[in-house]
Amino acid sequence: MARFLLTRLGLALITLFLLSVLVFAAAEIFPGDVASKILGPTADARAIAALNTELGLDTPALSRYLHFIGGFFRGDLGVSYTYRTPVGPLLLDAILNSLKLAAVALLIVVPLAIGGGIVAALRQGTLVDRTITSLGLAAMVVPEFVSGIVVLLVFAVWLNVLPVTATAPPGSGLLTQVKYLILPTIPLVFVLFGYIARVTRAGAVEVLGSDYVRTATLKGLPRRTVIRRHVLRNALPPTVTVVATQIGYLFGGLVVIEILFNYRGIGLLIFNAARGKDFPLLESCVLVIGILYLTVTLLADLAYSLLNPRIRLGSTT
Amino acid sequence: MSLNRRRLESMRSQSSNLENAVIDEMLNGGLSRRDFLRIGSVVGLSIPAMGAVLTACGSGSTSTKPSATAAAQQGGTLRVGISAPTSPIDPVTAGNQGSIAMFLPIGEYLLQAKPDLSIEPALAESWSPNDDGSVWTVKLRKGVTFQDGSPMTAKDVAATFDRLADPNGGSIALSVFKGILNKGGTTATDDQTVTFQLEAPVGNFPYLISSDNYSAVILPADYNGEYEKSGFPGTGRWKMDSYDANRGATFVRNEKYWDSSSMAPLDSIQFSFFADEQPALLALQGGQIDVVNQISVQNARAVLDNPAYNIISTPSAAARVLHLRTDEGPWKDKRVRQAFALSVDRSSIVEGLMLGRADLGNDSPFAPIFPSTDTSVPQRAKDLAQAKQLLSDAGVGGGFKTTLNVINQLEIPSYAVLIQNGAKEVGINLDVILQDPGTYYGSAQFGSSPWLDSTAGITDYGHRSVPNVYLTAQLASQGVWNSAHIKDPKLDGLISDYIAAVEPATQTKTAGAIQTLLLEETPLIYSYFFNFLAVSTDKVVGIVPNASGQLFLSLAALTA
Repeated sequence: MARFLLTRLGLALITLFLLSVLVFAAAEIFPGDVASKILGPTADARAIAALNTELGLDTPALSRYLHFIGGFFRGDLGVSYTYRTPVGPLLLDAILNSLKLAAVALLIVVPLAIGGGIVAALRQGTLVDRTITSLGLAAMVVPEFVSGIVVLLVFAVWLNVLPVTATAPPGSGLLTQVKYLILPTIPLVFVLFGYIARVTRAGAVEVLGSDYVRTATLKGLPRRTVIRRHVLRNALPPTVTVVATQIGYLFGGLVVIEILFNYRGIGLLIFNAARGKDFPLLESCVLVIGILYLTVTLLADLAYSLLNPRIRLGSTT
Repeated sequence: MSLNRRRLESMRSQSSNLENAVIDEMLNGGLSRRDFLRIGSVVGLSIPAMGAVLTACGSGSTSTKPSATAAAQQGGTLRVGISAPTSPIDPVTAGNQGSIAMFLPIGEYLLQAKPDLSIEPALAESWSPNDDGSVWTVKLRKGVTFQDGSPMTAKDVAATFDRLADPNGGSIALSVFKGILNKGGTTATDDQTVTFQLEAPVGNFPYLISSDNYSAVILPADYNGEYEKSGFPGTGRWKMDSYDANRGATFVRNEKYWDSSSMAPLDSIQFSFFADEQPALLALQGGQIDVVNQISVQNARAVLDNPAYNIISTPSAAARVLHLRTDEGPWKDKRVRQAFALSVDRSSIVEGLMLGRADLGNDSPFAPIFPSTDTSVPQRAKDLAQAKQLLSDAGVGGGFKTTLNVINQLEIPSYAVLIQNGAKEVGINLDVILQDPGTYYGSAQFGSSPWLDSTAGITDYGHRSVPNVYLTAQLASQGVWNSAHIKDPKLDGLISDYIAAVEPATQTKTAGAIQTLLLEETPLIYSYFFNFLAVSTDKVVGIVPNASGQLFLSLAALTA
């Protein structure tokens, strides 16, 4: 187990290093000059030069990169070019917002999709099964900006029962915050439900046809016990992996949802940072998402081994 | 001699040459009443003086007071949706809508430019030029204080303009003051008087110290560039209560405002930052906000004809400018350029694409909104027969194929398609290349920027209160935005003449000569000047827009 963790940690560090180099290179290659992006193309050349000097952009690329990475590992994320304030608080605020949205979305979609997948598997071939799978598939292919606008128009503009923006007023309680997050969660549930339900269904169908389930049923165990103890436990591992891979999407890929619902998450922050060539902000965002993603997949692997004792992590056999 | 005439003569003896030139022009019938008020205000004629002239001409009163907003109530909170600031809040360096909106209610200007580009006194009491317009003297209002109670004096004003004109200070206004005002050019003669010594005579100088140059809010002399950390200093009716770069801001009424007879009617203004127009408009429709600071005509369709919303529409000089390389490539022959310009169906672009919320362009930066624009120059219109004739005279009657680089933002891609369709009718096949702003502007230097290097391209240019910078940067031989690569000594001469011209008649005459020359040469196609649009619910009154797309919310109020 310890060896497994060490190997994974080493691999994670290499991944993060490659990621940081890639992002830096990309930010260097992006067209345009930082100061002229901030001041606009029609700004005076002297103003642009002054700002580039102020931001330290007149030093060589390599030294800027090393300076940033050195700081990052000491916990100093540098200063955003665009906002001219430390990256840390900006990022922390966005991360908390993204975590809230992701948590609400996961809390809704995971039980719903697993339940749906199991029900579909149990009723395999019936109308219920076909309804769940085809509705899930249909919802999955509707782009978020379409479903997002539809729910906004229906619930926030016509019925006027839920707020348009997802950001609750400062100092709101937990329930109010959740209320503000309901609308943006719906498009996410649409996107994720079909995928997770299908994987769960496939796993469950396979397990339901297995010898041990037949044995358990034949030896007279109640159906509920069979499902809980045998079907769920064996059908879930692939689902856990799928949910884990969606964390990356939920955590950095919600640009469209965040723009539409005016929610200040990390997706929007990273998008603006890329647009403004704001390297310290962009690199910090990407690295933090990378760390989070690697942690979650590691946790998913551990959960996998708990659910399926046949997999011994780190064993060489 | 009538009483009016006598009063006028005594006034003339106290006025400068320049003021008298404007008065003469009006008396001789060379100016309309509206233009007289606009131009008179620029050279510093006072409202009573202009009233006397108008009475002498039998042209009625000068009352410019807005009609009383009867139903407005005291107090309340106005909720405004604006685009998120993309730079720190600092009047000296900020150039984006979001950041500008954060200091407009806090600060005040020497002069306030109205939507029709006439000028009213604000922190200045009066202003006047010397005879050639190279020195301008501004008298300040007495008793003005900053929000911390300290008095605003000529020292603060001089420091403000020195900061903006400092070549090493990174000021966004450098491109405005280039060749006009340098660091050290502004001096405090006494506590209430400021003198601007210009690099060259500039007849339209008052615009550059007015609210139309948004950077020119008066800041304390000891301002150190840290606007946010200094708590948003200013002399205005509003104070910053809270500001969060990610979410929004709350401003509260400045209870110690220096003019207690003109306090802000509202208790507070709440700004919410939006990353895009669409969600802001949805928030307006959902009743979460009362005003959207700026919207494009495409997004405004949803509320344009709905009586529950007020569309605040302000004509401007902002345009999508199409340049044609005059020095090489397919557009080198001016007949080909003229033919292309004749293929553009301007009126249907204004009606169809801009829903009528735009003014027609006539292939020069002289927008209808500028008082100096010569309106007698004939308007260019679609004429396919003439275009085909010109192409065949130029030896390309069989048509040709070329590329058009287009910046991919707002309605510009749709505009490019309309241009493309028009050109096809005369046999010019345009291959439209859409580029995001970063790619399109590139380094913004000749040699590494599609904006400046492409044979043809469409660029987005913002509003300026005077056409000077368009002329010197887009059209002069050495211009830094001269993407058409036009090098015409005659045009250069006319541009210098125009900028130096102080008398309105000379300005219009030179403008006319430039307009005519540009129609002949056609280095640029200006087909429309768009209106800035903002939208509010019908409960909001007292918002004053300006032609550069800002909203002045200082005196906004809610109706019951």
